[in-house]
Amino acid sequence: METILSVNHLNVTYVNKSRRVMAVRDVSLSINKGDSLGIVGESGSGKSTLAMALLRLHPKGTEITGEAMFEGKNLLTISEKEMNELRWVKLAVVFQKAMNALSPVHRIRQQIEDIYRVHYPKASSAEIRERAMELLKLVNLPPRVYNLYPHEMSGGMLQRVAIAISLLHHPQLLIFDEATTALDVVTQGQILREIVEMEKTLSTTRIMITHDMSVVATTCNKVAVMYAGELMEYGMVTDVLTHPHHPYTQGLQRSFPSLKGDNRKLESIPGFLPDLSKPCQGCVFAPRCPHATERCFSQKPPMFKTGESGGAACWLCEGEENGK
Amino acid sequence: MKKYVIRRIFSGILTILVVFTMNFLLVKSAPGDPIKTLMGKETDDPVLRAALEEKWGLNKPLHEQYLSYLGNAIKGDLGTSITYNRSVNDMISERLMATVILGLSALLISFLLGTAMGIFCARRDGSLIDSVLSTVSYATDAMPSFWLGLMLMIIFATKLNLLPSQGMYNVRAGYTGWRYVLDVAHHLVLPCMTLVLITMSGYFRITKSSILQVTNEDFITTMRATGMPEKKIFNKYIFRNAILPTVTMLGISVAFLITGVSLIEIVFSWPGMGRLTLTAINQRDYPTLMGVYLVMNVSVVVVMIITDIVYALLDPRIRYD
Repeated sequence: METILSVNHLNVTYVNKSRRVMAVRDVSLSINKGDSLGIVGESGSGKSTLAMALLRLHPKGTEITGEAMFEGKNLLTISEKEMNELRWVKLAVVFQKAMNALSPVHRIRQQIEDIYRVHYPKASSAEIRERAMELLKLVNLPPRVYNLYPHEMSGGMLQRVAIAISLLHHPQLLIFDEATTALDVVTQGQILREIVEMEKTLSTTRIMITHDMSVVATTCNKVAVMYAGELMEYGMVTDVLTHPHHPYTQGLQRSFPSLKGDNRKLESIPGFLPDLSKPCQGCVFAPRCPHATERCFSQKPPMFKTGESGGAACWLCEGEENGK
Repeated sequence: MKKYVIRRIFSGILTILVVFTMNFLLVKSAPGDPIKTLMGKETDDPVLRAALEEKWGLNKPLHEQYLSYLGNAIKGDLGTSITYNRSVNDMISERLMATVILGLSALLISFLLGTAMGIFCARRDGSLIDSVLSTVSYATDAMPSFWLGLMLMIIFATKLNLLPSQGMYNVRAGYTGWRYVLDVAHHLVLPCMTLVLITMSGYFRITKSSILQVTNEDFITTMRATGMPEKKIFNKYIFRNAILPTVTMLGISVAFLITGVSLIEIVFSWPGMGRLTLTAINQRDYPTLMGVYLVMNVSVVVVMIITDIVYALLDPRIRYD
């Protein structure tokens, strides 16, 4: 299958006067056309940083190394002009807080027109309106929304508007940065179902950044698990969620309730995230890992292959790979 | 919108009435009385006192005094000054213009300059020039206005001999036409500069912090992600959202200026309402004092109503009903 985005050895470091926080370290992953990749991890795992770096929306003074190939171009090194040509036409994003995703003092119509005209300056209002109506229908919103102000809508409606806006120019790659996190479970479920439904007709590739395993389980076919800025495990959702190889993924899985399985006590992973401003020797998860050995503290585990298309950065998987 | 404006005007009138009553009671309950000032400290003739009290109506019960004053004030008659024996209306209207010139010019300059500086520094947050201006703005904010006025006077009038230290125009020259306007402008520089320096830091800081805050909002990141040029994002989206607190600030500082101008007028002998107020307080000149307070009261309320309406026009989240 055709690869649409491939990230190789990406490092993102936030530089501040006194500290250097290595928020994303040596992350490599690729996503194929038509895939939906869920990036999961707890707060501070670097998942949003990764997305912002790919979109080049990181704060000033952030150091980024590595490459992110998208349509034969390295997103991290192309000029601002080239990047702007890709923005929204090929690469769109839906952000975390639906309530703040739109300017509170401008009507939806005004904002959609402005965003549309960034790439098609001569587009007429009627033309934009037509496209907007199409999209509002797609996200199950009534046409009257077009003339409203953001405060006149609910969070769920705003989130739908934000999704509609992201689809304005048929982007190839769509990034959802915790897009449904702020919504209640019922609305979130509805919107997630709509997203999956929508994709049957659109040929978009989607990256879903979330801390919620269930979001990944319902809307993605691939998953990447991040911890403390590093990639722990990746693979098909069905494989990773049913047979996690990495102790961190296993821990994450045990901390979410199961819908179908037996009643069991939920467990949390003991300990805290390590300080990302200090260099780390060995596996970053070792201090919290129940299976950690001496080797884990001194040697960083490489990504071992697990199954057909998966991988896990854990010494426990070394034998497995050799066994096959 | 119409309903909102009418309701706002109605509540404004109510505010004026309440403040009017409170002023009346406060002035009356303050120690000292105007009759003593008129008679002189040494004299204490009961016949003269009774005659004067009769003349000024001060022998009537308090509520009668209040009602007759209220009735006259509504008709637009603020009475006669006890000290100067002149119509309070005339005395105020003679001086109102001077205060308006000083207050309005200071307000406009400090608003424009403060906002411009706020925008300038917000776009260079953390730079050397930003740190310098921020520090200076805290310093000027902490200075008493009369002290700053005196310092500027010492520097620009006494030492450098560049600007006049007092008055509104050169009394001896008797200029007319454009020459007169320039002369007034020349005299205006120092008192206006003092007021601008004092009030500007407020606009500066509120504009800067408001722009920085809006810049970090998610919708600005969304706009950037769409590839919208920075200039357009700033001019249309950041500015429009960041200007809201500045408008509120403008309304509040007009109220401050109306009262704060008095002090500066006294320092620079500016022939506005400030000096009139001071003498009226010292002489217990009830009608003049009440008249000045009423003018201040009404102007603050009017400005507040205008601010509210402008705000409602700028921010769709304000509901009209």
